[in-house]
Amino acid sequence: MRDVAIIGVGMIPFGRRDEDTLVDMLAYASMHALDDAGLGDKGVDAVYVANMGGGILQHQTAIASALVDRLSLLPAAADTVENGPASGASAVKNGVLAVASGYYDTVLVAGGEKMREVTGWKATDFVATLTHPEVEYPYGITLPGMAGIFTRLYMEKYGLTREMLVAVAIKNQAMGALNPYAHVEMLITREGILDSPHSVVNNPAMADPLHLYDACPVSDGAAALILCPLEMAQELTKNVPILVAGFGQATDTHALQEREDPTDLKAVTLAAQQAFKRANLKPSDIDVAELHDAFTILEIAESEHVGFFKKGEGGKAVLAGKTKLGGQIPINVSGGLKARGHPVGGTGVAQLVELTWQLRHELPKERQVKNAKTGLSVNFGGFGNNVLCFILKRGGK
Amino acid sequence: MNEIKITAYKCKKCGHIHYPKHERCLKCKSREFEELKPEGNVKLLAYTQQFNLPWGFDERFLIIGIAQFENGVKALGQIKAESLGGIKSGMTMKPSWEPVRYVYGEPVYGLKFEPL
Ligand SMILES: [Zn+2]
Repeated sequence: MRDVAIIGVGMIPFGRRDEDTLVDMLAYASMHALDDAGLGDKGVDAVYVANMGGGILQHQTAIASALVDRLSLLPAAADTVENGPASGASAVKNGVLAVASGYYDTVLVAGGEKMREVTGWKATDFVATLTHPEVEYPYGITLPGMAGIFTRLYMEKYGLTREMLVAVAIKNQAMGALNPYAHVEMLITREGILDSPHSVVNNPAMADPLHLYDACPVSDGAAALILCPLEMAQELTKNVPILVAGFGQATDTHALQEREDPTDLKAVTLAAQQAFKRANLKPSDIDVAELHDAFTILEIAESEHVGFFKKGEGGKAVLAGKTKLGGQIPINVSGGLKARGHPVGGTGVAQLVELTWQLRHELPKERQVKNAKTGLSVNFGGFGNNVLCFILKRGGK
Repeated sequence: MNEIKITAYKCKKCGHIHYPKHERCLKCKSREFEELKPEGNVKLLAYTQQFNLPWGFDERFLIIGIAQFENGVKALGQIKAESLGGIKSGMTMKPSWEPVRYVYGEPVYGLKFEPL
């Protein structure tokens, strides 16, 4: 197998993008990535497009075929990858395997979603279609509802507090305010969402014990990256190549009720273990992480399950500042899903774009993890029933 | 009282109880199952009060929980309560089979739990 490098990345600002179609957004992000790699006037061998909802939300299918045409990348091979909210990392995985195997040399991976053109009602229902169609979906359970159930169990088992959840929200929105690609660029205070009488109005319950500010926004957006064999990176691009040092993917029961211990996110643990093994690294070797904080609880739980902290210690670590920029392990310096936004099919790609910028040391000082050499991402599909973890490394092996 | 139309599957080899159905046992991969009907009251294992409901629900909120029947079957259902006051993990509830949502005016039946 060949080592695979990310040689170009691109993103468009997430948010509400009424003027753009789904394919517009994918095309803009892809062109940024092609130009960044220096392949803007050339082609690629294959394209993988991550998208969860085109068929439901836009009544459009075969998105990858539409994108290669739009980008004049014909006759490149093209596939759409749908794997729920983990579609992004799944598409990158497929691209990595294709290059590693020697079958393709240059691959474009683009991920995106257009969610704001339907009502919040419909968007919530769309995401809920990933729940079990017989034993979950008919009851009206949503992803926030599952996260609420999970959070209460975590509180009961580990003594997690709302104060810890609020600390994640404040940290990530503070970082989002520095990120021009973020959907939410607004600072929040503990007083405004937890302590003052106004907090009841500002931050109503969403899925008890989770509140509005525990959740990511519903976003439009897209991100893209270019892969090639590490050995070809130098001849193709001027950028510092970023090695895909390892990835892992694991699954868990579809229905939440069938997990022996629902607070144990087995797929996160297994995906991370595989990625660390492949990369020959351990959690303490990681300099920066992008975790899937669709809800604040998930950043805390994932930080424990990948091995940054012991079970039950993640919330305390946030309060102690260990996960902020300059801390022991900076998490979601981009603002995370919480502030950058969560266009579901785009998220897994966006996380790796952000890590690439971090590892190339290209971000403005206030958002750059100093001298970062290794990065880790978790892209959390379903309610933890399909999870991918990637580890990237600066400058080759 | 409507019959609770749930069928769980108990592995004949290791005894693990499945709901919903699987082709092979989650624990031991055996393909032999005995059908199992849920029995008795339920114990509440986990719950939430969920606002911002999906398309198709007119209620202001739903209280949803995962509960375990006396014979071990675990299932998700809607909890009949006006608020979370009095709802606690570990409490006993009475299960019933009632409409849990309406699709184009037609009821969809499912599990409801009533605190005792
Ligand atoms: Zn068995």
